[in-house]
Amino acid sequence: MEEVRNNSGQNLGIAALITAIITFVLAVIPCVGLIAIIPGIIAIILGSVGLSQAGRNNSPRGVPLAGLIIAIIASMISFSQIFVAGRLVGRGHKWPTNIENFVNDVQDNVVKELEDANVSIKVESDGNKVEINANSDKKDRENKLEDLEGVKTQKNDTLPKKK
Amino acid sequence: MILCRRKSNPVQNPKVSLRNEPYLIINIFFAGVILLIIAYSGIFPPEKDNYPVICLHEKLTGEPCFSCGLSHSFSLIVRGRIDEAYQWNRYGMRIFLFFASQLILRVMFSIFYLKYQQTRQQLIIFDCVGSGVIFLFSFWPFIANILSGILRPTP
Repeated sequence: MEEVRNNSGQNLGIAALITAIITFVLAVIPCVGLIAIIPGIIAIILGSVGLSQAGRNNSPRGVPLAGLIIAIIASMISFSQIFVAGRLVGRGHKWPTNIENFVNDVQDNVVKELEDANVSIKVESDGNKVEINANSDKKDRENKLEDLEGVKTQKNDTLPKKK
Repeated sequence: MILCRRKSNPVQNPKVSLRNEPYLIINIFFAGVILLIIAYSGIFPPEKDNYPVICLHEKLTGEPCFSCGLSHSFSLIVRGRIDEAYQWNRYGMRIFLFFASQLILRVMFSIFYLKYQQTRQQLIIFDCVGSGVIFLFSFWPFIANILSGILRPTP
C-alpha cells in the first residue's frame, strides 16, 4: 500500500528556505550584516512551523529542515558581525592619537619643504620692478629681508588716520 | 532534502507542475531578487549618491567597512564604468559577477530541470555545490573579515 503524503508545511518550508538564503547572503556583507538577524529570526520561525506541520501530517520535511538549518547558520553569521564591529570599536581609542601624529607629520613636512625651497618673487608697479630671490640658505633670506626692510616702501594702509 | 517530488509534465500542465516543484519556485524567486538588485543599481545614478541603504557598521564604529561603496560600485558596473567601480569598492566586481552568474544559473538550471527529468536529483546537488563554491569564492574577503573578527581577540 502506498504511503499517503500531502503538501502540509511545504509552502512554509519554501518561504523559510528562500528567506534563509537571502539572510545568508546579507549576513556576510558587513554593511547590512547586523540587520540580517531580523530575516534570520523570521526564517527560523517559518522553518520551525513548517517542520512541525510536515511532521504532524507525514509530509516531506526536507525543505523546511534545510530552511531551518541555513537560517540558524545565517543568524549566527549575522550575530558574529557584532564581534567584527566590536574589534573596530576597540581600536577606536587609538584614532585621535593617530590623527594628531599624522597632522604633525604633515606640518613638519610642509615647514621643511618651505625651508629648502628656492623662492622667487617679482613685483612690478608703475614701471618699478622688485625681484626677490631666496634659495635654501636661510641666512641669505634673512639678509634679503633686512635689505628690503631698509628700503622705503609705499604704504598700503587704507585705514583712516586717527584725528 | 526533497526538492523534486513529482515527475509531472510541465509542458502539458505548467500551472500544476510549478506548484509542485519547490526547486522551480525558489529559482524563479531568486532570479526575481537578482533582477531587482540590478534594477536598483540601474535606477540610482552614481553621481547623485542617494542610495537608501546605509552602512550600519559605519554608523556604529565610525569606520568604513569592507562593503562600503558596494551600491555605488554596482551602479557604475551596470553603466559600464568598471575602473571607477574598482575605486569605489574593490570587491564590487566579484560580488556583481556572483549575482550575474546566479541569474544565468537559475535560468539554465530551471530549463535543465524541466528538460531532463531523470537527472533532477543530481542537478540539484550539482547546483547546491556549485553555487556554494561560487559564493565562497565571491564573498571570501567578507567571510575572512568575519572570521578574523571572531578569532582575533579585541586589542
